[in-house]
Amino acid sequence: MEKNEIAGKLTIVFRTVFDNTTLVLTNELSAKDVDGWNSLTHMMLISEIEDVFAIKFKLKDLNKMKNVGDMIEIIRSKL
Amino acid sequence: MAFTSLNYLIFFPLLAVLYWITPTKFRWLLLLIASYFFYINCKPVYALLLAGITVCTYLFTGLIDATDVESKKKRYMVINIVLILLPLLFFKYFSKVNDGIIGLLELHHIRWPLPEIKLFLPVGISFYTFMAIGYTVDVYNEEIKAERNLGIVALFLSFFPLILSGPIERAKNMLPQFKTIGNLNYDMVVQGLKLMLWGYFMKLVVADRLGIYIDLVYTKFSTINGTNLLIASIFCPFQLYADLGGYSLIAIGTAKILGINVMQNFNRPFFAPSMAELWRRWHISLISWLTDYVYTPLSFAFRKYKLRGIALALLITFIISGIWHGAAITFMVWGLIQGIFLSIEALTGKIRTKFETRHHLKNNGLYTIFGICLTFVLFAASLIIGKAENIRDALFIYEKIFSTTSASLIGLSLLIVGITGLILLLIKDGADKYSHIKWLVFINKHKTIGFFAIGLCIAFILFAFSQIPGRTVNFNGAFYGFKNIVPGIKLLYTEDHSTFILSVLSISILLFKDVTDEYTPSKFLIFENKHKIVRVLAYSSTIILILLIGVLDGGQFIYFQF
Repeated sequence: MEKNEIAGKLTIVFRTVFDNTTLVLTNELSAKDVDGWNSLTHMMLISEIEDVFAIKFKLKDLNKMKNVGDMIEIIRSKL
Repeated sequence: MAFTSLNYLIFFPLLAVLYWITPTKFRWLLLLIASYFFYINCKPVYALLLAGITVCTYLFTGLIDATDVESKKKRYMVINIVLILLPLLFFKYFSKVNDGIIGLLELHHIRWPLPEIKLFLPVGISFYTFMAIGYTVDVYNEEIKAERNLGIVALFLSFFPLILSGPIERAKNMLPQFKTIGNLNYDMVVQGLKLMLWGYFMKLVVADRLGIYIDLVYTKFSTINGTNLLIASIFCPFQLYADLGGYSLIAIGTAKILGINVMQNFNRPFFAPSMAELWRRWHISLISWLTDYVYTPLSFAFRKYKLRGIALALLITFIISGIWHGAAITFMVWGLIQGIFLSIEALTGKIRTKFETRHHLKNNGLYTIFGICLTFVLFAASLIIGKAENIRDALFIYEKIFSTTSASLIGLSLLIVGITGLILLLIKDGADKYSHIKWLVFINKHKTIGFFAIGLCIAFILFAFSQIPGRTVNFNGAFYGFKNIVPGIKLLYTEDHSTFILSVLSISILLFKDVTDEYTPSKFLIFENKHKIVRVLAYSSTIILILLIGVLDGGQFIYFQF
C-alpha cells in the first residue's frame, strides 16, 4: 500500500476516533496538536488502526510512534 | 538532610561554589560524591542498598544492550526489575503483610514462625527504584543506550536534589545532561533561586501552617465537630500540593542552579476542570511514570476490549499508585476511587463531548468553574480515605461532616467576609479572562475606576482584618510554632485563631500566584513582572512571609514516608 493510501485510510480512523470531521493529517502531527488525543484515546486509536489495516502492533512499536509520520512508516512495515 | 534543615542551607551554597570552580570535566564526580554524602547523612547503611541497586541496574542494562536476541533482552530486563523491586517490596510491605498474617493466624490460635519485624523504610527508595526500573525498560525499548560509565548511572540514581522525594526523572533527560555539564549559566541560577524561594514559601508557610491545623483536627477527629473536619478536609489537598509541590520546586531549583534541568512535578492542579486533567497536573512525574510503564502496557494488552479495557487498565494502574503510597487498605481504596473516577470519565467521554458542543460549553466560564469545583470536591473527599487510619474512621469522618455542625473556630462574620473575598477574587479573574477588553478592573483605561477598585480592595482588607477576633493576628505565637506552645485544642479553637487565619492567608497567597499564572500569563506575572519594583516587592515579601509565618521547626516532608 502506498503512503498516500495509508494516510487516506488513517485520516478516516482519526476523524472517527476524535470525532472531528475536519482533521487533516500531516507527518509532523502529534498528540499535543490534536484536541482530545491523550493516553486514553491513543489506545482506542491503536486498536482501531489494527482493525482497519488488519495488522498487529507490538508494544515496542508504540514507543516509536512520536508523530503521524512514524505511525504511517510502522503501519507500512507491517503490511 | 532535609531541604528545610539548617544543614542544607550550609551544604548547598558551599557545594554550589565548589561546583562552579571545579573544572567542567570533574563536575559530575563532585555531584556524585556530594549526592552520596547527602544520602549517607540520612542513614549510612541505606547508601549500600542504593549502591547495590545501581550496580545491578548497570550490569543488566549493559547485558540488554550487548545482546541482539530479543528473548534474552527481555529476560535480563525482567530479572533486573525483579531484583531491584525486592528491597522496595521487602522494606515497604513485608512487616505490614507479616503483621497481618500474624494477626489473622492468632485469631485461629496458630503461631506464625516469622517474628514481628519493625523496619524503617530507607528514605527515597520508592523514588530511585522507579527511576532504575524506568531506565531498564527504556534500554530494553531502545529508547536510550545503556550508559557505559558506572559513575554517571550512580549519579542519575543518587542525584541529591531528587533522591528523597523525586521528581521521578527519566534517564533520557538526565544522563545526557550529566555527561555534558557546561559553564555557569547566570539565567539558570537566577531561575533556580526563584523556584527555590517559592518552594520554601509553599512548604514553610502554606504546607506546614496547614499541617498544624489538619493534624490537630485529624488526630482528635472523634471529639471534633463536623465543621472543623470539613475545613480540615478542604485544606488537605492544599497541604499536599504545597508540601510535595514545594519540595519539588526546591529540588528543581537546586538542580537548575547546578545547570541541570529537571521536569515539572505540579502544574497548578486546582484549575483542572476534570479528574483526568487533575492527574495530568498533579505529581506529574509519578503519573507519567505509571502511564508509561504500567498503564500503557496494560491498556495495550486489553485493547481488544476497547473502552472497557482502558477502564480496567486505569483501575489497576491507580490501585498500584495507591499501594505505592503505602501498604494499607486505605491507600488501596483511595487509588481504586481515583481509578473509578477516571474510568467513569473515560466511559462517558463521548457523551460529554456531545453535550458540551450542543450547549456551547467548551468556553463557558461558569461550566469550567463548575468542573473545577466538582473536581476539587471529589479529590478532597477521596483524600479523607487516604488520610484516615482505616476505612471505618474515614466513614465516621464523612458522617460527622454531614451530621454535626456547630460553631466552628471561626465566627460567622469572618466566614462571610472570607467567602465574599473569595467571590470577589473569582469575579475579577472571570472578568479578566472572559471579557478582558471591556471589564478590566485594575488596569481599566479610566484611571478613576482603577484607583476606585484598589481603594475598595484596601478598604475590604482593613474591614476583613477588623473582623478577626481579637483584632490582631498573633504573629508572635505563630513564629515559635503552634505545635509546641498550644497545650490543648480548646485554646486554639476559642481564644487563638491565628493558626487558622494564617492558614487561610497562606492558601490565598498561593492561589493568588497560581491564578495569575494560569489566567493572565502575560499581564500579571509576579516574579517575572517587567517592572522591577513588582519583582523586588514580590521577592522581599515572600522572604518576609517565610520568616514571619513559616513554620521553622525543621518539619519533615510528607512524601519522605512513601
